[in-house]
Amino acid sequence: MNSKLIKELPELVENQVISQDIANTIERYYQSKPSDNPNRLFTVFGVLGSILVGLGITLILAHNWDNFSKTIKTLFAFTPLVIGQIVVAFSILKNKSQTWKEASGAFLFFAVGASIAMVSQIYNIPGNFANYMLVWILLCVPLIYLLKSNALALLHIIYATIYACNYGYAYGGKAPWLFLVLSLLLFPYYIKLLRSRPKANITSVFNWLLPLSLIITLGSFLIKFEELIFLSYIILFGLFYNLGKLPKFDNLKLRQNGYLVLGSFGTVVLLLIASFRWIWDDVLEIVSFSGKETTAVLVLLILAVFVLVYLFLKKRVDKFNLFHFIFIIMSLLFFVGLSNDIAPTIITNILLLILGINAIKIGIDKMHFGVLNYGLVIITALIFCRFFDTNMSFVIRGLLFVFVGVGFFVTNYVMLKKQKSKDLNDEILAQVQQDENNILK
Amino acid sequence: MKNIKSKYVFLLFIVIAVAQLFVPAQMIFGQEEILTKGKAYKFKTQPIDPSDPYRGKYITLRYDMNSAVSNDSIWERKQEVYVYIKEDSLGFAELVEVSKAPINTENDFVIAELRSNYSNPHKVFFNLPFDRFYMEESKAKPAEDAFRKAQRDALPNNTYALVYIKDGDAVLKDVLINEISIADYVEE
Repeated sequence: MNSKLIKELPELVENQVISQDIANTIERYYQSKPSDNPNRLFTVFGVLGSILVGLGITLILAHNWDNFSKTIKTLFAFTPLVIGQIVVAFSILKNKSQTWKEASGAFLFFAVGASIAMVSQIYNIPGNFANYMLVWILLCVPLIYLLKSNALALLHIIYATIYACNYGYAYGGKAPWLFLVLSLLLFPYYIKLLRSRPKANITSVFNWLLPLSLIITLGSFLIKFEELIFLSYIILFGLFYNLGKLPKFDNLKLRQNGYLVLGSFGTVVLLLIASFRWIWDDVLEIVSFSGKETTAVLVLLILAVFVLVYLFLKKRVDKFNLFHFIFIIMSLLFFVGLSNDIAPTIITNILLLILGINAIKIGIDKMHFGVLNYGLVIITALIFCRFFDTNMSFVIRGLLFVFVGVGFFVTNYVMLKKQKSKDLNDEILAQVQQDENNILK
Repeated sequence: MKNIKSKYVFLLFIVIAVAQLFVPAQMIFGQEEILTKGKAYKFKTQPIDPSDPYRGKYITLRYDMNSAVSNDSIWERKQEVYVYIKEDSLGFAELVEVSKAPINTENDFVIAELRSNYSNPHKVFFNLPFDRFYMEESKAKPAEDAFRKAQRDALPNNTYALVYIKDGDAVLKDVLINEISIADYVEE
């Protein structure tokens, strides 16, 4: 980016867009600015290298070298671990660069896993996979903080998710409560990242990975009360949407704000599913609420309401934006659904329509084509879903599609025109201002 | 200031490094203790061949000892089953009784996992815990085949697992076909 700009400078000077002085100043500015790019790239490759070597060693050990004696195999188990520890100790003692710390930390992470695996192999310890993962992850948590390592934090959340899936979704699984502890252990690190580098790429990666990890694992908590899965996900997505609207995240670009995007998209997908009647038939079958699952959903609900109230106090809630409140409405609807399956189905369809219109309005207000078309897609999807389970005549279905299609064209066209005239206005305004300045001079 | 901080970080790291070394070391000591002080039992078994992504190839052992009649009737899936055993006249492990809780008896026991008791509330099916035997990756499948071949010859009960047991903890030391270690048997 910078070098590209510097290359353009002679041309700009030649065409008298800027003077030679300004060109020199710009060049000097970019040269004096400390560039961290090569360093960062080096870190990424260092970490990737460590991960590959670590995984490679794991695989080599997994060959089960049964020609070697038990003592030699035991030695094998400890060698990578000790090497990893020495390198990490070295980078801490000599206060080496972040690249050193990230790479050595990632290697040590896999060395810990490999050594435990090797020992269980030597002694044929059956122990289940989830427990093995848990011990491994816990032994590496402190490294995240000691090395201030992003790579280790990423590995932590990925492996914790794998642990939760293995523990919870497996046959006869139980709720992986310890996953919550593992997530909490990462929390201080994440908060620090949000505070110190809110717009950094690595922070955005966590803004996506954390909600994704929760989306993947939530279902495993409800394995014994599957009828609650729908409700819990609606609340989770509502929580994510409102989290994404917190001042900290709302200032970010959409692609940096995983909470908002996942929350909104997840809500729409779930509502589309709930616009079919059969989903409510399942709800009808619930006889009573009890157990840890109900408590978990309740805690989730309280958390989501809490965030919403906070947004209200900060005056961050747009009263006409249904996305903020949809999880509350759906929770109420869920209780209506306990005794009736027709009303919730109809209401869900209406809600989806409103959400679509809502998104279109937000898109127009913010001049954002992505959001505008998102709204149109919601409405299209809704109509599409109704094609499967209603007996509308083909003519009406056809007309509906034509109608929405025309809607796509018209709204996009109108907005394009609006944007152009706005740009023109801005240009004129700037021109007028410049003229005024000239006159004043 | 910076130096002091990095010293603390280093000290903390030493603590963690020791913990990281302690976990596998402690596993080794625990297993060695059972191997040296425990009593050896032979469990009749059949090997089958799956794999584990981190720990490599192993053969799963399906034991002949997998069910028992129990006086307890209410069991939950994956519940612990205390399986009490003794040595029979041929030197193989023989089931004495099963229970939900430890019983006061001289017999050795292992803690198995309940599989089901659907068909009959008093008949309990369980999995013995030492059901994995790690092998060099090229040998796991041949081991299964070798077992099948050995099964076809005239001698009955020719495949068994050698398991050391001490205070309810068990270590699977080896699997033998016709008194030959399965790893060597495959090579022959």
